Amino acid sequence: MSNLSSETSLLTGFPRPDGRIGFRNQVLVMPLHSALCATARSISQAVSGSVSATHDWSGEVDSDFERITKVLAGFAANPNVFATIFLTLNTDNENQIIKRAEDIGIANSQIIDISKVGGLAGALSLGIELAQKFVSEAKKISRVSVPWSALHLGLECGGSDALSGITANPALGVASDLLVELGAVSVLGETTEILGAEHLLAARALDPKVGEQIIETVARYERSINYEGIDMRGAQPSRGNIEGGLTTLEEKSLGAAKKAGNAPFTGVLEYADPAKKPGLYFMDTPGHDIEQLTGFAAAGINIVVFTSGRGTPTGSAVIPTIKVSTNTQMATSIPDLIDLNAGTIADGTQTLQEVGKAIFDEIIAVANGKLTAAEKGGHQEFALSRMYGTVIS
Amino acid sequence: MRNLLILNTADNIAVALTDLKVGSKIEQDGLEIKVANKIPRGHKIATKNIAKDEGIIKYGERMGHATSNIEIGEHVHTHNVLGDRLSAEQVK
Amino acid sequence: MKITGFDHGQRGVGIRNLQLILPSVVCSTHISSRIAKDVGAITFAHQHGCGIIGNDVGGISDFFCELASHPNVGTVLIVGLGCETIQGNELAEKVLGSNPQTKYLVIQESGGVAGTFESGIKQANDLAKANPVSNKELIDLKVGIESDLADSRAEELAKKLEAAGINFEIENTSKNAGISFAKLMGKGVHLIISFTSESQPPSGFPLIPTINIASKSALHMALANDFDLPASATNVQIIDLIERVASGTKTKSEISGSGEIIAPRVVRSV
Repeated sequence: MSNLSSETSLLTGFPRPDGRIGFRNQVLVMPLHSALCATARSISQAVSGSVSATHDWSGEVDSDFERITKVLAGFAANPNVFATIFLTLNTDNENQIIKRAEDIGIANSQIIDISKVGGLAGALSLGIELAQKFVSEAKKISRVSVPWSALHLGLECGGSDALSGITANPALGVASDLLVELGAVSVLGETTEILGAEHLLAARALDPKVGEQIIETVARYERSINYEGIDMRGAQPSRGNIEGGLTTLEEKSLGAAKKAGNAPFTGVLEYADPAKKPGLYFMDTPGHDIEQLTGFAAAGINIVVFTSGRGTPTGSAVIPTIKVSTNTQMATSIPDLIDLNAGTIADGTQTLQEVGKAIFDEIIAVANGKLTAAEKGGHQEFALSRMYGTVIS
Repeated sequence: MRNLLILNTADNIAVALTDLKVGSKIEQDGLEIKVANKIPRGHKIATKNIAKDEGIIKYGERMGHATSNIEIGEHVHTHNVLGDRLSAEQVK
Repeated sequence: MKITGFDHGQRGVGIRNLQLILPSVVCSTHISSRIAKDVGAITFAHQHGCGIIGNDVGGISDFFCELASHPNVGTVLIVGLGCETIQGNELAEKVLGSNPQTKYLVIQESGGVAGTFESGIKQANDLAKANPVSNKELIDLKVGIESDLADSRAEELAKKLEAAGINFEIENTSKNAGISFAKLMGKGVHLIISFTSESQPPSGFPLIPTINIASKSALHMALANDFDLPASATNVQIIDLIERVASGTKTKSEISGSGEIIAPRVVRSV
């Protein structure tokens, strides 16, 4: 790997007016109210090359309001998006979300105020027209060479089994370390999966303050869980994890932390906040696969590698999600769920370094346009993370 | 096909890479273990005797504690191990 | 009012005969939607099931059971992933208790997405064929009414329904209409009358025909096409529409498909 240099990257992408770079040119239909989601879906289903988000927020202002608006704005402004079509009711809160997205940086956008176009039917036909226009505009743009710093990588695992921490996660860590060294951003999430391993990560912080932040992020999470009297053993490890061989939360965490390799930690990010400079970060996210993916997207992450032992089809509308299986059995029995098999490490047919390099190569290929299994399957999952339930507060 | 994955010399468990049958003998990396329970692929087997309350060590780190005495060759899982953090007992 | 509905056995008579493709977890919503589209069934997108704990496990599982056993539902195909907290096969067993025309599929055990899609279509079609439904008179129509606390029209309609011998349930809008609709669903209403809040757009609920009645707000005037009845609708007109919808006329929200399912969650994201 000595022919890789930080000066000339192997990456091509689409620079956006605000300076960030995307690896896809999505046309996103973004409904700002749950009643508009069906129309958004109908538009994106009618126009090939467009995608949409579905959520359950209907404008309510509660303790989750800031979190929800940050995610909706950040997602709409993800650098992989060429154009965003907002479906709105023109409320003050919705307009604030749009402004917030514009402040982060949107390449192109249009707002459809359904109250001005005669309702849902008008929004549907206008939305289709706009989406078609944007899709053909997007096709006219070519990729250009972009630096390593353009890559904001998200590290995720779901449906973990006992091999996750032995095959796919450490192999991903090899790729992540290489990218961080070259000048990219790499982000590890899932606070539940740091519990029990946070001291190891804190010891790798570039700055002792960052180490303290890592410890505090986990402690804050524990306090919140304890305050609500939640028995985490009910959820982590999950039943699927336990069937696969994982016994304790700490065991899962030790294995999960391997995704971040050995690089030093540059910083800690709050949920859905972007990294401002190259390096390895830890982001406070829930363990819910889709909520984590959605938070990553809102933070401007433009590629995700997602390791899985049991296999999950999910992907984000705006981020190409590369699936790496932890075991050969899953890779052969449900091949359309995965892109790369790290189970060869357990089989003894490949080394950790070989698979790590293969993941690195796959990240480059996908960044440069290769479609992932999740993209081929049309997966566009989206979920809003709530710190407070829908029923209470 | 190797039967066990031993991650760290400090560990007192190993991960089964294939379903292990009761009574089968494993000789690997200087270890000689008689499998005491049926152990599914991906699950853990004790490679040393572990006393009640002693730490379960994986990757050279503590991942929980034994809730009863565990002998070499036994299945190590939720029936004889508890995590150290966020268990229902700690919450109270 | 004479309403001919669909005989769903012990679950009662429904005003629709919907085949429900029920994703037991967010990760199986997309494949469920593809299956539903292919066979003409209904489904819904939701965000639940992954990493849920505590009271939410029982809560969301009960909620899915309520959906599957609702009288408007015919057959049910549950699509699970395999590693979620509420397992597809366990949910199916629970649901079978109230809706015997239920089958389940697990993506991780069906050969992945392509395999699940093929199996799903076959199973959904087989289920429908194996369970033909006959018509039966619906004698105990139950109407759900959703409105703001301050809206007096709900009380007035309730009085008229009572006089006509029609059962009803009222839910006042809490955080959002979707939560109220979900509660009404749990009470077994066949259809919902929503006196939509002034600042909210009309919406619906996948299993339950929802009649949206506008207020006089500027927003509602601008969205007039998406309401079933204007603010000036009389109770006579409302009850007339109830009869027609119960007999098969589709509501605006049934046609547009709008309205997302919100499972009640009490626990924060973990």
